[in-house]
Amino acid sequence: MRFDVIIIGGGRAGTEIGAALQKSGINCLIVAEGLSINPSKRTEFAACGGTLLPGDSVVGGGFDGAVLKNVRTENLVGTVLEADFFVLATGKFFSGGLASTMDGIYEPVFGCDVQYEPDREKWVNPDFYADQPFERFGVVTDDYGRVSVNGVTIDNLYAAGEILAGAVDIDGSAALVTTQIMRRK
Amino acid sequence: MQEKNANASNFEQCLKCSICTAVCPMMEANPHYPGPKQAGPDGERYRIKDPAFYDLTLKYCLNCKRCEVSCPSGVRIGDIIQSARLKYGRSSNPVRDYMLASTDLVGSLASPFAPVVNRVLGMKPVKAVMDGVMGVDSRRTFPAYSGRRFEQWFRSEAACRQLGFRRFISYFHGCYVNYNYPQLGKDLVKLVNACGYGVHLLDREKCCGVALISNGFGNQARKQAETNLKSFRTAVANGETVLTSSSTCTFTMRDEYSNVLGLDNSDVRDSLLLATKWLYDHIENGSIRIAFRKDYHKRIVYHTACHMNKLGWAIYTTSLLRMIPGVELKVIEQKCCGIAGTFGFKKENYPYSQKIGSELFEALRVANPEVVVTECETCKWQIEMSACLPVMNPISILAEAIDEKETIKLNIR
Repeated sequence: MRFDVIIIGGGRAGTEIGAALQKSGINCLIVAEGLSINPSKRTEFAACGGTLLPGDSVVGGGFDGAVLKNVRTENLVGTVLEADFFVLATGKFFSGGLASTMDGIYEPVFGCDVQYEPDREKWVNPDFYADQPFERFGVVTDDYGRVSVNGVTIDNLYAAGEILAGAVDIDGSAALVTTQIMRRK
Repeated sequence: MQEKNANASNFEQCLKCSICTAVCPMMEANPHYPGPKQAGPDGERYRIKDPAFYDLTLKYCLNCKRCEVSCPSGVRIGDIIQSARLKYGRSSNPVRDYMLASTDLVGSLASPFAPVVNRVLGMKPVKAVMDGVMGVDSRRTFPAYSGRRFEQWFRSEAACRQLGFRRFISYFHGCYVNYNYPQLGKDLVKLVNACGYGVHLLDREKCCGVALISNGFGNQARKQAETNLKSFRTAVANGETVLTSSSTCTFTMRDEYSNVLGLDNSDVRDSLLLATKWLYDHIENGSIRIAFRKDYHKRIVYHTACHMNKLGWAIYTTSLLRMIPGVELKVIEQKCCGIAGTFGFKKENYPYSQKIGSELFEALRVANPEVVVTECETCKWQIEMSACLPVMNPISILAEAIDEKETIKLNIR
């Protein structure tokens, strides 16, 4: 099955990007795993002809060097979903965009490079109401919003929203990715 | 993530985010229902301690699984509720519930006398008695029984035609096709035959058991499931995929058999497919080719049934429908129609059923298509009755839209 853009994550960033691209005639699929806090944006996306896969999760991708060719999902067994561009917008720990082991933080879908504090002692601040360092952990991107895997930038895989490292600007990152994809499409 | 959990029903993964409560259709319509979070994972920890904590309002759960689709933590909320109902639930009207749940029994008794039964069931005094004595709401009409069962038609008119094929699929037709609406089964045979595959019926087929599960008859559901699994194993051993045309039967046999009834279906689960998924996969890999009629036109709205939403396979159906040149397709937002199988037939549930479905009926009326397409037979009854629009299974649409002769030519091997 082929789409122009496949967006992984149906939260705020994913649906913002999906709705904007779909409205300008770019055919999008959103694999809406994780928590949806803005169902109205999903409705808007679907109303302008976008395809939603609610409650499904991406289980892996097929790479050709530094290009992501396709993904597979849990429900659509045996079906390969291909696209020109992919967006990772799976959020942070609660929605499963990031996961942790005893000594590290990782991104479970593609193993994208993640920025985090190596000293586990410093992951949390004992003052519950203070800024928590783990909230700043996340996927690192280049100036154009693209992620890297083992230090190699993936040419057509972008990340946006909560999954990003540092102080996250959801709307800003969504706008960057939307413009980048529109420019290249 | 789930493997780490010691408890099989994984309720400990619930983080209390309450998103399931926000998407539960019953929660919105009925303030007496505590909602999926409380009825499922929250209640479970109490029930394990003492069954006296079982809450009778769990009977209001529609088993639509919208809670599971929305859960970010992978909690099988619906399964927890269904399992609790099977374990602790007591029916207030066991005779009626057994009649509604025993589709095979009632179907075999009714279908030889179909013209009489259909007329009698439609009479006002009969409806009043059923309403007063049995608790089946008089505003509901039972789907008409067919005088000739699908299995009888297949054996006498279609079985010999299947001898000419070299590749086969097995067809699980389900009760609705067999007793009420054989035309859907005939459409499937026409479509699959045109694609170059012969159709076999299973050695023995029983109702998938969904109505037994939801009405609390776990042991009988398990017995029927075992009969079906045995037949599936024979078919799969012969290299045949088992195809279905109903989303709810498919979902029940793939997921509820293992998650609610505790049966091991892992060896046949991947070979049990909705015909639309099977067909899409074969068209995609080029092994089946379809020619469509040039004079076919239809304005269609696709309604994603709740169990179809849970399966996640609506995309196959909509992709197939989009392949038909003369089809104008609109996919409307997933909403529950409210009937939930036998639930909506019960007098005490009727008002909730209609209240839940009202948003969908309104959306369908606004869209005003020639036909609504969905894989679920009970959604079909509900939409036909409440939104007054004709409803068809996608298999029937495809069977109608193909150029049969051309398609046969394209698939000769």
